[in-house]
Amino acid sequence: MIENRPWSRLLSHLILIIGVFIVALPVWVALVGSTQPEGSFNSGSIPLWFGDQGVQNWAHVLFAEAGSTLQIPVWHLLLNSLVMALGITIGKIAISIISAYAIVFFRFPFRSAIFWVIFMTLMLPVEVRIVPTYQVIANLDMLNSYSGLILPLIASATATFLFRQCFMSIPGELVEAARIDGAGPIRFFFDILLPMSRTNIAALFVIMFIYGWNQYLWPLIITTDDTYYTLVMSIKSMLSVPDGDIQWNYVMVTTLLAMLPPVAVVVGMQKLFVKGLVDAEK
Amino acid sequence: MTDLVLKNIGKTYPNGYQAIPSIDLSIEEGEFIVLVGPSGCGKSTLLRMVAGLETITQGDLLIKGNRVNDKEPADRDIAMVFQNYALYPHMTVRANMEYGLKNRGVSKDERHTKVMDVAQMLGLDELLDRRPGQLSGGQRQRVAMGRAMVRDPKVFLFDEPLSNLDAKLRVQMRVEIRQLQRKLATTTLYVTHDQVEAMTLADRLVVLNKGKAEQIGTPMELYDKPATTFVAEFIGSPSMNLFDAMLTERGIELSESLTLLMPHQYRGAIKWGIRPEHLLQSDEANGDFSLQVQAVESLGAETLIHGVLEDGTEQPKPIVVRLAGPHLPDIGSRMWLTAPLKHWHLFDATTQQRL
Repeated sequence: MIENRPWSRLLSHLILIIGVFIVALPVWVALVGSTQPEGSFNSGSIPLWFGDQGVQNWAHVLFAEAGSTLQIPVWHLLLNSLVMALGITIGKIAISIISAYAIVFFRFPFRSAIFWVIFMTLMLPVEVRIVPTYQVIANLDMLNSYSGLILPLIASATATFLFRQCFMSIPGELVEAARIDGAGPIRFFFDILLPMSRTNIAALFVIMFIYGWNQYLWPLIITTDDTYYTLVMSIKSMLSVPDGDIQWNYVMVTTLLAMLPPVAVVVGMQKLFVKGLVDAEK
Repeated sequence: MTDLVLKNIGKTYPNGYQAIPSIDLSIEEGEFIVLVGPSGCGKSTLLRMVAGLETITQGDLLIKGNRVNDKEPADRDIAMVFQNYALYPHMTVRANMEYGLKNRGVSKDERHTKVMDVAQMLGLDELLDRRPGQLSGGQRQRVAMGRAMVRDPKVFLFDEPLSNLDAKLRVQMRVEIRQLQRKLATTTLYVTHDQVEAMTLADRLVVLNKGKAEQIGTPMELYDKPATTFVAEFIGSPSMNLFDAMLTERGIELSESLTLLMPHQYRGAIKWGIRPEHLLQSDEANGDFSLQVQAVESLGAETLIHGVLEDGTEQPKPIVVRLAGPHLPDIGSRMWLTAPLKHWHLFDATTQQRL
């Protein structure tokens, strides 16, 4: 139903504008706050217009130290987060595309049983299995390391399931044509399957990158050394100052910096992302 | 020289279902063989067994004298054209055509010349850098054929390649496939359910029914002398009129009151058949029997008259007559027909075999 009356248009615009306002206000406060001098938040009112400390605040946080209890600059935290998020994303995609390939295109005993076991791990996110996982990582001596941050989060039933659905929609004749064309399993995987699931990979990349970037609990538990802190978890520690004032201006800069990479990924891959979710490219 | 030999080939699925009991067929070099039959008759299974996409559970498959039962499809020196074309959607036409060669380690220059040759033959040279998604159905069909031809295989396999095209294009591609096959002189195995396609393309036809070869022969052999009632009904459109009858000393007894005179020694239950195009319009004095007109299909050049045989029984026996030119009999009217003796087909009622 498409209505084209001026009143309904006005109303719908009004609702949308209110929505945008509600969503954008916190971001605006963070942006403005990041330019304020120290202590302006503690005066009791929230500033709504830019202060004059912008450049100093950003430079200090990025290159000197994050402030409060963190003695390392935020670019290091950014790097840690990036390594973790990319590691999780690429690892997840690699592992799940290979397992989906095995499940869909090969006949072996207990094939569907294995699929259902993988599927059941959907019910076991990190939070549920955190104690045994910690035990395993600690025994492997991977506390305070990138591999410790990444590995436990790599297995993904969701991605395996998505790739399985994607592969199952590939017509059998195409697989047979490739067999007649002399493409073995490995050639078929790289020449046909990977290019054909390009958009799905992109969509998963976006989702998984944001998932990896926003990890909070797991990095909080296994890192005790500043050099492996990730950005998202350290915002919290910037707020827990034993005595003295919270440096809100620095917190705001860090918050904005934490938001930027996911936004960049979403904006950059938007087209592919939508394509991957909507059509399966015939 | 025989190119492709199927010796006692059979297929039984692991669950015990026997798709193809046993088929023997030897195909000469350059021959165009069409496998035809209704859906579920095993024709595609047989083709896929030759391709190596289905395992052969019994018998031997020889290509140029080599037993290839256990060889991978890629090592059998065959090329296949699929019903849905099965082009790789992310590759250009050129990449699609040369993919098989690339996997075989053919050099880039050689690939290029081969692809160009085939593309020119098929009129695809303008389209080489497009993707399959940007092509029409007929063009995709051509690319699929090009992909098979580039490889220069010993045997072409076609699995209902024309069934996704519209009627006009189908006729055009049919002619084109025949010409190309003659030109390349490559042994070809072609599966279809369309008997017009089968009749026009084939050097020899194999009519399959429930996994068995009912008859193997040239199109005209099958038309003139169908070996079984199944072939009789399958080949020809509209299909042959078949009636249960008794063969007696007097002739063929279609019912108690209707007998076609033909002195004969054999006695027993038979099926009597005549093709719609062999029935002639006649009058009461000379006619062998009459029908009551029930429906008329005017096609311009010919008219199909559907009716029931008036043989003095209550049981309606449908009969079709095909007359040249326009005719407009009234529905319900009576039409007298003669059935020339030389066009009769007699089959044993129990074995369904030709007598």
